[in-house]
Amino acid sequence: MSNLLYKEFRLAINPFFYVMPVLLGALMFIPQWIFFFVPLYFCFITAPNLFGVLKSNNDVSYSVMLPVSKREIVLARIASIVTLELLHIVMAVVFAIIHNILYSSSNIFMDPSYAYFGLVFVMFGLFNVILFPMYYKTAYKYGAPVIISTVVAVLFAALVEVSVILNKDVAVFLEGSITRQLVILAVGILFFLVVNAVAYKMGVKRFEKVDV
Amino acid sequence: MAILKVDKLNKRYEKFHLKDVSFTLEKGYIMGFIGVNGAGKTTTIKSMLNIVHRDSGEVEILDKDYTKNEINLKREIGYMFGGVDFYPKKKIRVITDVVMRFYPNWDNEIYLQYCKRFNLDQEKKVDELSAGMKVKYSLALALSHNARLFLLDEPTSGLDPAARDNILELFQEIVENGEKSILFSTHITSDLEKCADFITYIDEGEILESSTRDDFLAAYRLIKGTQSQLTDGLGEIMIAVKKTPFGFSGLAKSSDLAQVSGLTVEPPTLEDIMIYHARRNNNE
Repeated sequence: MSNLLYKEFRLAINPFFYVMPVLLGALMFIPQWIFFFVPLYFCFITAPNLFGVLKSNNDVSYSVMLPVSKREIVLARIASIVTLELLHIVMAVVFAIIHNILYSSSNIFMDPSYAYFGLVFVMFGLFNVILFPMYYKTAYKYGAPVIISTVVAVLFAALVEVSVILNKDVAVFLEGSITRQLVILAVGILFFLVVNAVAYKMGVKRFEKVDV
Repeated sequence: MAILKVDKLNKRYEKFHLKDVSFTLEKGYIMGFIGVNGAGKTTTIKSMLNIVHRDSGEVEILDKDYTKNEINLKREIGYMFGGVDFYPKKKIRVITDVVMRFYPNWDNEIYLQYCKRFNLDQEKKVDELSAGMKVKYSLALALSHNARLFLLDEPTSGLDPAARDNILELFQEIVENGEKSILFSTHITSDLEKCADFITYIDEGEILESSTRDDFLAAYRLIKGTQSQLTDGLGEIMIAVKKTPFGFSGLAKSSDLAQVSGLTVEPPTLEDIMIYHARRNNNE
């Protein structure tokens, strides 16, 4: 498994994608902004480019030639992409901390808080649970999987942001007590873990049927 | 002792069907797997390795069921499918660095020896290699982890005659000690005349023959004669016939030759056997 991860990070993922979390994380400095855009740029830019690169490099034909199971191939792919997502989140956290130090006034939209990051985990979870099972139907067609999973992620983010603006109770619920925010964060992380496990199981099931 | 046993492999596509493909390869021998383009050579090898899902059938390698021991057996097999066609912008040094990690028996010294023998420059990108060099790189990867069985799909296509000769010589060196075996698919029949001990012939997804090269050649005969000698009875026993303004030539099974008299009967080449079978398929 570690060999496959090495392959993912050395061959499959272009170093450009390791810089993206820093570049996109810096968007946290935009004052009074919809901060869900920061992780969403992963869906808009990184995901389609990443899958495009995999397709043009014939990655799947290469992977199945190695002495590994199809299950491991799916696991390594999901693990590497989840790692990139986590990098985006970590960098967003770093910039959010700086943001909160620099800007004293509260954001019109959702603040970059614990609860916000909990909901970012939920958003990425929804994105992954649609993307991976759809992608592994063919293991090369990525257009529809990326578009549909991105639309769902955008709808989720929009729902949260609109609710925060239109409904004071939601804003208070999400941005009030720190304890509640930490619970939301924990639930978000748990949701992320569970749906990624589901995405993996479904991805494996579908990839097993693919003739490479 | 059999190193590879393929038993009743089936794979059905919309327009192609691999039908009950069975053959056995003994330890220490080279088997040529021949057939025209699209006959099912690559599909057979891919189904054997579970890269393509077989509908039914069993594959035993080194006395172990392949499906149950897939990963361990993949480490014991050297396999290639034509030239390297992945990660074209990466240097071969980088690709090798990744591939070698997957094989506990990887021998870098042997790998470097092959690279030297094949004139492969580690610093070149895959894209910068010619078609023949891509095949050689693919072979170098397949040969460098002390495999005991080699499944090579078109290892000589795209190579110049000198390089092909070099590769065929290498194949003979590999099986020399009687411990390793090679199955290689090709449509270049002269390769097989140089080094194959056994021939397995696949035609439209079906194995027509799997035997020693001499038995395989002995099983067929070329018949030549004038137009007037081409009777209906003769036409029936022939696999296919080529007519010229001066006469005809055709291929028949040696076992059917009892009915033939007064005609020129010659041993065919492997190429003749392939051409006449293809001709029959085209006429059907």
